[in-house]
Amino acid sequence: MTSEAWTAVRLSLQVAMCAALGGLPFAIAIGYWLARGRFAGKWLVEAVVNLPLVLPPVVTGYVLLVLLAPRGPIGAVLQGWLGVKIVFTWWGAALASMVMGFPLMVRAIRLAFQAVDPRLEMAARTLGAGGAATFFTVSLPLARRGVTAGWILAFARSLGEFGATIMVAGNIEGQTRTIPLAVYTLANQPDGMGRAWPLVALSVALSCGALAISELLERRQSLHVPA
Amino acid sequence: MSLLSLQCRHRYASGFELDVSFELNHRFTSLFGPSGSGKTSVLSIIAGVFRPQQASVRLNGRRLLDTANGICVTPARRAIGLVFQDALLFPHLTVERNLQYGRRHRAAARRTVAYARVVDVLELGGLLRRYPRNLSGGERQRVALGRAVLSGPELLMMDEPLASLDDSLKGRILEYLQRMIAEWDIPTLFVTHSQAEVRRAAEWVVVLQQGRMVAEGPPDEALARPAPLAWGNSAGPVNLLRIEQVTAAEGHLAARVAGQDLFLPLGKPPAVSPSFVQFRPADVIVSRQDVSGLSVRNHLHGRVCQVAPVEGAIFVAVDIGQIVWAEVTPQAAAELQLAPGAEVVCLLKAHCLTLVS
Repeated sequence: MTSEAWTAVRLSLQVAMCAALGGLPFAIAIGYWLARGRFAGKWLVEAVVNLPLVLPPVVTGYVLLVLLAPRGPIGAVLQGWLGVKIVFTWWGAALASMVMGFPLMVRAIRLAFQAVDPRLEMAARTLGAGGAATFFTVSLPLARRGVTAGWILAFARSLGEFGATIMVAGNIEGQTRTIPLAVYTLANQPDGMGRAWPLVALSVALSCGALAISELLERRQSLHVPA
Repeated sequence: MSLLSLQCRHRYASGFELDVSFELNHRFTSLFGPSGSGKTSVLSIIAGVFRPQQASVRLNGRRLLDTANGICVTPARRAIGLVFQDALLFPHLTVERNLQYGRRHRAAARRTVAYARVVDVLELGGLLRRYPRNLSGGERQRVALGRAVLSGPELLMMDEPLASLDDSLKGRILEYLQRMIAEWDIPTLFVTHSQAEVRRAAEWVVVLQQGRMVAEGPPDEALARPAPLAWGNSAGPVNLLRIEQVTAAEGHLAARVAGQDLFLPLGKPPAVSPSFVQFRPADVIVSRQDVSGLSVRNHLHGRVCQVAPVEGAIFVAVDIGQIVWAEVTPQAAAELQLAPGAEVVCLLKAHCLTLVS
């Protein structure tokens, strides 16, 4: 593999790691809320969370680009107050990946919380634990495998993110060119099809590995649920 | 000031209406009633995990819930221990961590019960490193008891803690429970639909039926009235007599029940006292005068205190010092003129009696 290819691999892992870690607290909060909460308009929250699953990634990327551009409603604030530029940096790639992987992460986490017997939470409360203590000592530990599985799914999804990333972060060698973008770039070159093979193989291996681990964890989770 | 006072009213979407109020002043009270009578709802309201439309709950004078004044103490701050039918141990924690859960989350001032002593009394020493999934039903229930006690509750409530256990275990868990109450003097409210459990353990019983309290009093008295027994839901009244001085005699066991002699089939005399005998009301023969020349060993003298017709049969309550229920046909009841006050003899074959301990 060329040094450009290795750079793409490093960037991909960095972007995917940040995307999955950054989305995790929000996914846990929303997943728990969706699993336990009973409120009007729950369907709307669900719809918004799941939107990136059904929208063309390029459209999601377009919306993000509009919001995050230096003159966009969010981008202007970040640029003006914090001096942070998101678009066309690897941060932009991470953010786009995070949004794309978020529905998968929320779904896995929500299912994990739904599998926790709410009466165990009730038992914790009668033993003197408050709401937060109950969550951190009972609900979250019991859902931990589902949470990890969701994290891995989002990580794997980020490794493969293309459409939204290219809109928000562009395709800049050494800065935002992740594995999918590198494969795309190579494939567009006259003799590139052959040179893309190592990256393609590596990508397949990474994705399969992540999926296998996630599947394994979810199975152990279902064994863990008390009868 | 009573230990616990409760008044609650709630109308469910299904149309079921709960309207119960009572006060508790006893160490060991049983909340008794058939399934669906509202027992669990009452516990949930006291524990604070269910909030009814209208209620007030006071524990040792402290207001826990008062819907009229918008007061509602969270379950975490009520200091009420709750033991569930299926124990509900935390599956991801060892027995030791389960036991200490309540202790860690309760204020230090409430830690009145010594951990080592609980492990001792409930004989949990060998289980501490195990996970709940590797425990038997009885062991789980013991851990659940210990966990609740260690949270330093002012009131201990149990929702059918014995219902999922087999008969031989029930007696042993009840024993642990009584040992625990004796040791730490924690007032206990015990929910059950088993008359035998009520008779054996409770000092006071509150009887619920269809969301309302229909009787309360000492078990023998409260359960002797036909209305509370919810016969539509169970097989009728249960005969459970408290017996004393069980000794092995020639060819049988001899015992005393309310000052009269009782013959039991030969077996091992029970190790625990008091013990009980159980028999079916249909096995009791009622006679207006004592008869001789019968093989029947037990002749218990008493006075009819109640006659209750139920679906083609008549249940007669005879006070022999304790209540014996006899099931007779309407014709027999008429012929013998069985009415309250009538002096009768209850004839009982020794082999119809089952020793319960």
